[in-house]
Amino acid sequence: MNLDSVNHFVHAYRMTPWRVQRQWIVTFLLAVITLAMVAALYLDVTAQAAITGRRIQDMTYQMSIIQQSNGDLETRLASLTSASVMEQRALNLGYRPVTTDEMEYLVVPGYVPSQPEILSAAPKPPVNLAGNPSEYTQSLLDWFDQAFQQFGDGR
Amino acid sequence: MRQQYAWRSNLLVSVLALAAFLVLAQMVRIQNSEEAVIFRLQSLSYASELRTFYPDRGEIYDRNGHLLAGNRTVYEVGMNLGAMRDPSAIALAVSAQLGLDYNEVLGQLTAPPEGLSYLVLANYVESDKALALQALQKDAQMQAAEGTSGALTGLEFSTHPQRSYPEDSLASNILGFVNREGRGYFGVEEKYNDLLAGNPVQVLVPTDPNRAVEIPHVSNGTTLVLTIHRDLQDAAEEILDNALSTYGASGGTIIVMDPKTGELLAMAVTPRMNLNEFWNYGVIYDTASEFNQSVSVPYEPGSVLKILTMAAALDSNTVTPATSFLDTGAIMVGGVTIQNWDRQAWGPQDMVGCLQHSLNVCMAWLSTSMGPEIFYGYMDRFGLGRPTGVDLSGEAAGRLKIPGDEDWYPVDLGTNSFGQGIAVTPIQMLMAASAIANDGHMVTPRVLYAMMREGRQYNVTPQFAGMPISQATADTLSEMLALSLEQESSNALVPGYRVAGKTGTAQIPTESGFYDATKTNASFIGWGPVDDPRFMIYVWLEQPSASIWGSETAAPVFSEIASKTVILLDIPPDIIRLQIAAR
Repeated sequence: MNLDSVNHFVHAYRMTPWRVQRQWIVTFLLAVITLAMVAALYLDVTAQAAITGRRIQDMTYQMSIIQQSNGDLETRLASLTSASVMEQRALNLGYRPVTTDEMEYLVVPGYVPSQPEILSAAPKPPVNLAGNPSEYTQSLLDWFDQAFQQFGDGR
Repeated sequence: MRQQYAWRSNLLVSVLALAAFLVLAQMVRIQNSEEAVIFRLQSLSYASELRTFYPDRGEIYDRNGHLLAGNRTVYEVGMNLGAMRDPSAIALAVSAQLGLDYNEVLGQLTAPPEGLSYLVLANYVESDKALALQALQKDAQMQAAEGTSGALTGLEFSTHPQRSYPEDSLASNILGFVNREGRGYFGVEEKYNDLLAGNPVQVLVPTDPNRAVEIPHVSNGTTLVLTIHRDLQDAAEEILDNALSTYGASGGTIIVMDPKTGELLAMAVTPRMNLNEFWNYGVIYDTASEFNQSVSVPYEPGSVLKILTMAAALDSNTVTPATSFLDTGAIMVGGVTIQNWDRQAWGPQDMVGCLQHSLNVCMAWLSTSMGPEIFYGYMDRFGLGRPTGVDLSGEAAGRLKIPGDEDWYPVDLGTNSFGQGIAVTPIQMLMAASAIANDGHMVTPRVLYAMMREGRQYNVTPQFAGMPISQATADTLSEMLALSLEQESSNALVPGYRVAGKTGTAQIPTESGFYDATKTNASFIGWGPVDDPRFMIYVWLEQPSASIWGSETAAPVFSEIASKTVILLDIPPDIIRLQIAAR
């Protein structure tokens, strides 16, 4: 068996109809699987985005409820510690108002009296997510769109 | 055989391809059909909703962080008439929990106005009462047979904020109140209404969860920190109430201010109202100016104004503290004889004596010596006849008649010098005298210490209203006033602290134009410690019946509130303070 006959055999094997059909089927299936994977990925990302969005909506609502509750508690606390209530509590405990001749002043070196200052909370983080990278905010279709646009601009 | 399989395969592929094509074609057809256009338009209308966000009203604190005005949640309890099952059970539950009349509620439920589907049963319900009613509704639902509605079905609850004042009537004249429509009236609530209320925002809110980040952030109203010291305010109100009772006065005012910054530390007036029951306003006050008479009611101050006359005379070099004056008991000004308060002649006096004995004749001599141009020029620079600009609503300007006005007469130059024929508010008098206590610099009084917005605090800086007199004049006059109090052993003195001040006893003009000899306004203005003033106090008692004299009524009240002030502001006695300074 010389080399020509071997090549002929290999060529004939490659060109057999069932083998060509199988190549087409495999290629088609690969394309289908790829598309299915992309679709599944897209569905997953979309679903996660929707769930996260819904959670944000719920948390926004919860936030307003908590703020209301905080306001209620703060007002109630202020009522419980109002000047008249505290004065009455002090009197009930046996205290009485001090007079100027009973006051004693002690010099504390280095002591700086506190200034009237209400410490405010740290600045709130921005609510919109404009500063986040686009990978965290755009959908797959948005990404495709952006890629095509960049390709078009680059060309 | 192989060809037969190939044919079948091709047929299968063709059928599947055709089916896939048909599916795609149907999808395209549906997407582009007329109905699809309608559905798309409908979906757009549901994609977002127009919502108005009302920011929470900003809170108000005192200078040490005590809440003076906040917000609390209250409920509106209503009835969904379409879902109502048992009106009598609902009427019984609502009347028991909310204290409403059973028959009235039942009547509303059984015979509601025509076309009404929702009936408000009660509004501004306290949360504990509303929650108890809600619990009752749940119990009724649990007890109902399976698949049926409970007896209290249809009751609906919605929440909204309401202004709340934890200190009730404390500083009511400073704070003002907010009505049920959310508008501020009087005091800080009115003056800073726009800041406190914030701006309602109307926006399209996306319902699509994927666009949740577009939900707008609405800033709450600005929170205010006042210069008021809560405990000092409480003490001032208590002292004022006791003074009215002790001296039989019909009304009164006590103001405590930092003369260096203009910060009002306390401002007590009578009457006051519980701000949580603002609907009683009409019962307590006859006119709007009564709400805070320390800024809204001008009156003839009497002798306390003599400090301004003396300041003008010293600053214009008309006199010096040692200038002698022979008091004959009367002086003619504009054809009218002016006499002293006791109609007596006090003989030779220096300027300290003129202040110490509060001699009208001496003051009229000073004003006529200066002449109208200089005298009224100084009064104008002291801010008389103009609002001070204090950040409280309803401030009155007072009245300073000047030559050229229709109702000004030459005698006014004499009477104005000792506080007659001139109208000032207590806050105006305090601002004018701040120039004497503060090295010649006059400060604008204010109650706003800082604003807080979005977690940041913005402090307000002191505002100065000019320098009507020099530092030397201010220091000299302060010393003269301190000496005059010490020499007469005034009731205003504060043990351990050197104070300067002046009493005032002003007769009250009647409608006929003459003065009532039996009724007076008793006043005292003072500050201390003299060498480094930390507080400035104005006391005004209206028509005291125990004594008509300011030296016997307003002066001891000054001493009492000054003693309280030095304790609450941690001001050590002069001797200790000077020891510390000497180190």
